[in-house]
Parts: sequence; C-alpha cells; structure tokens
Amino acid sequence: MARAVALPQTRWAAQPAVAAWAAATVLAAAALPWGRAGRDLGSWLWDSTGVVLASGSLLAAGVLLASFAVLLAGLWPAPERTRGVALAAFGACGMALSGLLLGVRGTPTGPAGVLAPLGFLTLTGFGLSSSGRWFVDPFLSAAVLWAAAFVALFILLPLASVVVASVWVDGRFTLEVVHRTLTSPAFLALDHPGTPHNELAVAAAVGLAVAVGTLVLGWYLRWSRRSLPAGGAAGLAAAALASLYLGFGAFRNSLLLAVVVGAVSTALGFAFALLSERSQLPTRRLLGTLSALPIITPPFVLGIAMLYLFGRRGFVTYRLLGVSTDVFFGPLGVAVAQVLAYTPIAYLVLVGVVRALDASLEEAAQTLGASPWHLVRTVIWPLARPGLANAFLLVAIESLADFANPIVVGGGKPFLATEVFFAIVGRYNPHEAATYGAVLLALTLTVFVFQQRWLGGAFYVTVTGRPTGARPQPLPLWLDWALSAVFVVWMVVVVLLYGSVFVGAVTRLWGFDYTFTLRHLQDLHPQGWQVLRTTVQLSAYAAVPSVVVGFLIGYLVNRVDFPGRRALEFSSMLSFATPGTVMGIGYVLAFNQGPLLLTGTELVIVLAFVFRNMPVAIRAAVAALEQIDRSLEEASTMLRAGASTTLRRVVAPLARSALLSGLVFAFVRAMTAVSQVIFLITPQHNLATTQILSYLEYGSQGRGAALASVLTLLLVTVVASLQALSRRLDPRTAQLGAG
Amino acid sequence: MNAVAEGVPVRLEGVTKRFGAVLAVDSVDLHVPPGKLVTLLGPSGCGKTTTLRLVAGLERPTAGRVWIADEDVTDLPAARRGVTMVFQSYALFPHLTVFENVAYGLRVQRLPAAEVRRRVMEALELVGLPETAERYPAQLSGGQQQRVALARALVMQPRVLLFDEPLSNLDAKLRRRVRAEIRMLQQRLGITSLYVTHDQAEALALSDVVVVMNQGRVEQVGIPEEVYRRPRTRFVADFIGEANLLPATFWEGAVEVASYRFPVEQEEVRDGPVTVMVRPEAVVVSQDASGLPGVVRTVFFMGMTTELLVDTPAGEVLATQPYRADRRIVPGEQVRLRFEPAGVYLLPAEDGRG
Repeated sequence: MARAVALPQTRWAAQPAVAAWAAATVLAAAALPWGRAGRDLGSWLWDSTGVVLASGSLLAAGVLLASFAVLLAGLWPAPERTRGVALAAFGACGMALSGLLLGVRGTPTGPAGVLAPLGFLTLTGFGLSSSGRWFVDPFLSAAVLWAAAFVALFILLPLASVVVASVWVDGRFTLEVVHRTLTSPAFLALDHPGTPHNELAVAAAVGLAVAVGTLVLGWYLRWSRRSLPAGGAAGLAAAALASLYLGFGAFRNSLLLAVVVGAVSTALGFAFALLSERSQLPTRRLLGTLSALPIITPPFVLGIAMLYLFGRRGFVTYRLLGVSTDVFFGPLGVAVAQVLAYTPIAYLVLVGVVRALDASLEEAAQTLGASPWHLVRTVIWPLARPGLANAFLLVAIESLADFANPIVVGGGKPFLATEVFFAIVGRYNPHEAATYGAVLLALTLTVFVFQQRWLGGAFYVTVTGRPTGARPQPLPLWLDWALSAVFVVWMVVVVLLYGSVFVGAVTRLWGFDYTFTLRHLQDLHPQGWQVLRTTVQLSAYAAVPSVVVGFLIGYLVNRVDFPGRRALEFSSMLSFATPGTVMGIGYVLAFNQGPLLLTGTELVIVLAFVFRNMPVAIRAAVAALEQIDRSLEEASTMLRAGASTTLRRVVAPLARSALLSGLVFAFVRAMTAVSQVIFLITPQHNLATTQILSYLEYGSQGRGAALASVLTLLLVTVVASLQALSRRLDPRTAQLGAG
Repeated sequence: MNAVAEGVPVRLEGVTKRFGAVLAVDSVDLHVPPGKLVTLLGPSGCGKTTTLRLVAGLERPTAGRVWIADEDVTDLPAARRGVTMVFQSYALFPHLTVFENVAYGLRVQRLPAAEVRRRVMEALELVGLPETAERYPAQLSGGQQQRVALARALVMQPRVLLFDEPLSNLDAKLRRRVRAEIRMLQQRLGITSLYVTHDQAEALALSDVVVVMNQGRVEQVGIPEEVYRRPRTRFVADFIGEANLLPATFWEGAVEVASYRFPVEQEEVRDGPVTVMVRPEAVVVSQDASGLPGVVRTVFFMGMTTELLVDTPAGEVLATQPYRADRRIVPGEQVRLRFEPAGVYLLPAEDGRG
C-alpha cells in the first residue's frame, strides 16, 4: 500500500472545532439576549441582543467586534502560530469586554451572557495551544481555562463574598459587625458574669496544676531536659481545654464539640479498625455495614432518633428508665449523635492505616525480643500516629461543619454552623451571618491546611493493597472481647436509633401513643412526595456535571502541567473543607443581585450541588488515574488521538467503575445535602432534607420520621444497586487489569 | 505495506531539556539518516529516553530544535508529527481487543471500516499474529503483546518509528528473536527508526548507527563496529563490552604497558602517556618469555570460554580464553599476556570522564 509520508502540517483537524466555536460565539453575542427580565431563567429580554445593544453601547459593539475578529482569526489561512496568537488575544479581549458589558448593564444575565464568554474562553484556550506558547492539547488548554473559570465563579467567589460581607456594610468598610459579633457572649464568653466564680481563673489554676504535675512526673521519670517544655505544653493545653470546657458561646460549643467528637470517634474508629483487621470473633463480619452507614444516612435521622430514644419523653429515658431528662438535648446529645455519625469516617481512614501496619515489622520486633508494650510504643504507635491525626482532623472538620444535629438536638444552644442560619433566618442580619461564616471558614480551613501540609494531603483513604507474606497478629483475646463488646453496644445503639425512626414513621405519637398508624405516610401526600421528586430530579441533574467537572479537574491536576495547577487543585478541594452553611450563605451573597442573579432558581441549587460534590469525583478520578499507566495515554497520543479522544476512549473506559461510583455518590450526597441549600430553596423547589426540618419545626415529628425513612430506604436502594452493578463490572476489569 | 525506500531524516540541533534543576539532556546534536535505525545507548538516567520523548513530542525541549523530514516540528504536538512509538510497557489498551488496539489510530483518523479492517489484518500478518485479533492483550504472552504493539505502531505508516526499550520486559531468548524480527521489518519497510536501549548487545546487533550517551550528552556516534573497536572515551570503552583500561606510554609507534612494549598502528596519537584499552578476547595468555608478566588470581569457567583475572604490574587484567580441555590454567600460575592488535585501542591518558 502507498505510504502517506507527508502529513498536512500547517492546517489540521482541530480547525473545524475552532470555526464551530467561533461561529457559535458570534451567533450568541449577536443574536441572543444578554439580559433577563427577572429571576426566571426563561425570561429573556429579546431587546437586549448584541445587535440591538450595539447601536447604543460601545461595549456591546466591542464585544460584537471581538466575536467577528475571533471568527476571522479562526478562518484566516495564516501560519498556525500567528493565528493562535491572534485567537488568544481576541478571545481574551472578548472575555474582558463581555465581563464589562454584563457588569455595566447590571441586570440578570441572559443566554448570550453565558454562551459568549464561554465561547471566548474556549477560543482563547485553543489559541494558546496553537500559538506554541503552551505545549498542551487544544482541548486540555480550553479545559484548564474552563475549570479555572468555574472554580473561581462557583467556589472562590462565594467564599470571598462571605468574607467581604462581614466587613462591607452599607457600601463601606467597617469592622463594627465583626467586633460586635466576636465580643458578644453568644459568640464566646470565657468568664460568664452571671456565675459566682471566675471561669478563666479556674482554668488557669487547672493549667498550673497540670504543669506542676507534669514537672513532678518528669522529675520522677528522669526526663531531665524534656520535662520543662513538656510541662509547659501540658499546662497550656490543659488550661485551654479547661477554659473551653468552662466557657460559653457558639465558638466554645463548636470547638469543644469538635475536639471531643474528634477524639472519641478516632478512638472508636481505631478500635473498630483493629477489630476488622485482627479480630477472631464473628462480630467482625458486621463491620462492613458500619462503613456504609454515613453515606446512606440523611441528616436529621440521628437527631430524630436521639429525641425518640433519649428525649424528654424518650423511649429509653422515660418509658424504660422512668426519667424525664433534657441531658441529651444540648451539646451532649449533639456529641453522641456526631460520634455515631462520624465514627465510620474515622474507621474508614484507620482501617487503611491498620492494614498498612506491616505484620512482618511486628514479627521482626518480636524476634528481637520486644515486649508487647514495647512493640506498641516503638512500632505501632509511630506508624499509626499520622493516620490517627488524620482521622481526628477529618472528624473535627465534619463536626465543625455539622448543621443538622446541632439544630435538632442542640437544645437551642448556639453553635457556629447554626448561628449562621439563625443570623439570616431569625435576625435577618446577613453581615452577622457572614461573620460567623468567616470564623467557621477560618477554623475549618486551618484544620484543612494543617491536614494537607503535615499529613501529606491524604484527604482520603489510600490502600496500597500490597500483600505481605506475614499474617497479622491476632489481638490478645481479652482485648478482642473487650473491643468486640464495645462494638456490639455501638451496633445495638445504632440499630435502636435507626429502628426508632422507622418505627416512629408508623407510630401515632411517639412518647405518648405508641399505636400503629399509616397516617404519617399518607400525610406525605402530596407535599412530601412532591418534594421527594424535586430532590431526586435536582440531584440527578447535578450528578452528571459533578462527575464530568470533577473528573476533568482530577485529570488536569494529575496529568497536565500548567501554571496554577496547585492553586486549582487546592481551590477545588476547598469546597470540600468548607462547611455547608458557609458555602450556602456564600451562594446567597454572591448570586443574589446583578448579572449573577440566580437565587430562587433551580439552577442555583443544582450548581451548589455540583460544586459541593465535585471533590468526590476528583478523588475518584485521582484514585483511578493512579491505577492507569501513563504510557497508555501517551500511546493514544502517539496514535494521533487528541486529548478528548484519549479521555473518551482510553481513560474513561478504564476508570469506568470509579466514574460510576463517583456518579452515585455525587447523587447520594446531593440527596442528603441540607446546609448548603437551606438558604437557596424556595417553596417551589423545596428539598426532602429541608422539608424534614420544617416538619420537625412545626412539631410533626411523625411526618418527619416518615419522610426520613422513605429517604433512607431510597438511598439504601441506590447504594445497594451500585454495589451489585460494580460487582458485575468488576470481574471484567479485574481480568483485564491495567497496563 | 511493501518495502519503500523513501524514509525521512530526523535531526536534533542543540536540544536541551531541563526538569527543574536537573539537566536531563544537554545540547544534543543528532542526525538519523533516512530509513536507518539509530540506537541511543547508555546507562539509566543518561537522557536517552528523554531524547526519544523529545522527538516524539511527548516532551518539549528547553532549548534547541527538532527536525523531521526537514521540517521544524519543535512546537508541533506529538499527534501531528507522523511519528509512532513502541513502549517498554507495551501500553496496549487493556479494554480493547488486539484488533481494536491496532485499529485505534486508524479509527481516530475516521478511515472507512473496510480500509481499517484490511490494514489492521495486514499489520497483524506482518508481525505474524493474525489469529489473535479477537483476543484481549491480557490473554497474550509478553512477546506477542510486544509484537501487537509493533503492529499498532506500523499500521499508522509512520514517518519515524520510535522504540523505548521495547524488549526489556522479555526474557533473554525471546528478546533475541523479537530483536531479529524488528530489524527485519524495519529494513524491509525502510522506516527511519530511533531505538532506545541500555543493552549494548542489543544496540550492536540492531543498529545502523549507535549513539552512546552519558549524563545527558552524546559521547560517541558511529557504526556498531566502530564504537566497539575504536571507543573515543573511557566511558564508551567501558560501557560497550568488557574493557581492560591500562595506563601506558606511547612513543615511536609503540606502546609500553609496564615492561611490555608492543607496536600499535593508530593515527593521531601523540607521544606521551596514554590509556590502553584491551578487549578481554584480545588477551593471549601463554608461558612465553615475552609479554606482560602476571599471576592468575581467579579462573571462571563459562562454558565455551574461560575467564581469567590476572594481576599484573599495570593492574588487574581480564582475559577471555577459548576453553581447552588439554590446557588448564590454575590460580597462582605465573603467565605472560600479549595483546592482539585488533582488540587494542589507545585513548587519551585521563580524560576525566571514566
């Protein structure tokens, strides 16, 4: 066969894409409306098309000009590099002019205001790629710009809006709101004026006592040089903890809660991880279900259950024990609910850590004659320490961000996440809400940065799964029994709690009248079902974009070298570390007026879901990409496939099961989301979770339990079918392997 | 896919590649003549794979230009250089059948189905694997996988074919066979090829031209026989085959190693200190009166040959002798060594790059 030696080098197949994008940009800029009449996404102002505007506005004329320039540059038969430079330059101009035009007009944006800037952005990417300045495929080049724009608009802008709103009041800079909020006793009071003793003094005394105690202990154990710093540190820590414990206010409540829940959950998680890896008792098999619980638990379920079992007329407290108590209606109740909710997270992190504890190391230590205690101190503890710290910090972030439990079981005590909500909903003060939000954001970001910096940024469980010959040492029998007993108690409590919600859904009036009824379920008609349908719908809309955007970003930060890569990675993971209430108020503040007016639409809810859940897909993508040999993608490139083809035909099929589970988890997370959308819902677009909350607020706990039960069952079904499906997919992928 | 003679040349001009502070490739000039197979040979980390990837377009040079067929392709992405590559890991797509693997590049070009089918089967026949078309890569042996990878590269009718240590995952016997097949196909199709390897035997057996690289630089370029027989530096002498490097003095057309003086016919050698490279197979061990005196330290029986380590006043000398049942040399024996001219070459005394 004849050899096609000379390839057409100067003009190439990417050009149809350039021409198509350029034509679309011209069309959008000229013929589609730039403005909307109101909130309604469909209310296009047909008198605001580019052609109409151009006669009255220089900016609009400029945008039109830029779009034609881009089209000409795309069709211009000049050398590729020259054309690339022209495309990039005109595209950037078009972007800037469109932004200005939208800003100057200040009215809600119409379709042209979305499509034209996106077109300019894409063409800038294509231009940069073919200008030769940037050695990246045109598709990836445009994708980097898209990702940057989306992350800036839907993650960074809302967060910035929160910070700005706390110091920018009525058009001027002021620290007054911040000052007033931070000094109010509702935020933090270390010394309550109403109590006879001075709490700070007590805390200082405790700290001093601990410091002296440590010094004495150090002298006794002959630590010599280390005892002074150790004593000081212990004293300071004790004083801080004591003042937190004795103090008041939202800051104190949230922080103390995070510390306590973090510590308890980590301890329990570690115990369960030990059990799952090293137990010889049959209870071990139940641990699998443990890890799935937090995924399928809608918010409020544990809260409702806590009230049912341990509330004033709780089944356990009132009915069985005969006491009417409010003990569990407050920080203690929230702590219990959070420990139940977040222990599985710690377990998932730590099970990897325990698995990675190489049994051969232990054997080596034992052959060297180490006692079990010595083994724990010198081998196991140093190896497990980073994992334990990681679990603690992850749980602390979750606890700080938690909104659902404090609002249901918090007993009216202030917490940072709920104060954001009440400042808006109760006190109508967005600036105060923003201040609380900024504080909460600062707290979680500190923890997040600390976690990323010092613990290598393993924000998720990685299991290397490299088996070693040595079989792990089983636990000593007494420890095995003790930990298993703890686990059984834990399981019983969980079963009781979940069970009570399901039973509560068919019980006439919990605490007073325990007769069976289907009334609550019937009462879900029509409102409850309607809401459930909306939730499924919006979550489904959001799932696919979450995965597509997340996977693309995961691919870009993992495989492509471009300036700002780390910034993009960090910003996109930010939305994971940001408490939902903060993101929620950020969306309200950023998208409530001007060209970006989106609140009150379904779109803003979907966007909130997409950018909130995208990190799930990023993590799935990164985990999957680490399994795929880079040379496969390079082979595809060498066979003349563009990056989009490589992604579609090589990467996506190999990452199929990761994509699928990313899709399901994005959907499930959207279904269970509450805090980030609680400000965004409208009567027309109510969601299941917020509906449960309003049932609870209006005292119809039965209906709340009914809706929560239905939601839980739905999620169980979804997750179970995912597992069945990936089991069906797995044998094939396992057989084919990678590379 | 019949033999076609018109290959294209590849040229590198002052190509440099830095990764952060690491200088991977240091101003390399290289010329691959049309239709020839050139190997880049060197130890791991010498920059040979990076050089290959620069030609492929998978990396972009920090400085310098890359030319293919007299066209500057430095800024051209990999997909548009008309170059294909065979990877060390085979890089076969595990989720596609052999047929679809080979067809991949053709489908990217949206060729008609009939043509895809014809060309894929032709390519598979060329590498002798037409019956595996419907199997998955995981169901093939390593050698078969590498041949599928070769078919996948050939089916694109590339202007230049790149090989990145394609045989290093195969066992020794198979390596020899696939090596011969690659050479035969390359010569028959006349495709300009650049081949990276760290195996000097592979390089010598395969190439029209060998390029020896070290620390990001080209040490020597030449036909296999030349780099073996006339290495320009200690590094090349040492890296390609075994070499004894002995200090010596050269004057009046002869060289003196310790007390042993023998004539050397080599141009452009100045009188003074030199380094003598002696290939082990050029060392003749005898009991004669003349030659370099030495004491046998160790004897290794290698089957066809025997290897001797001999301590001499000039240093340790490795000698390879054909095996002879009637003449056993034992450790401790006093011997004389003579060097045959064909395996002797003089290098500058200390070029500092040993």
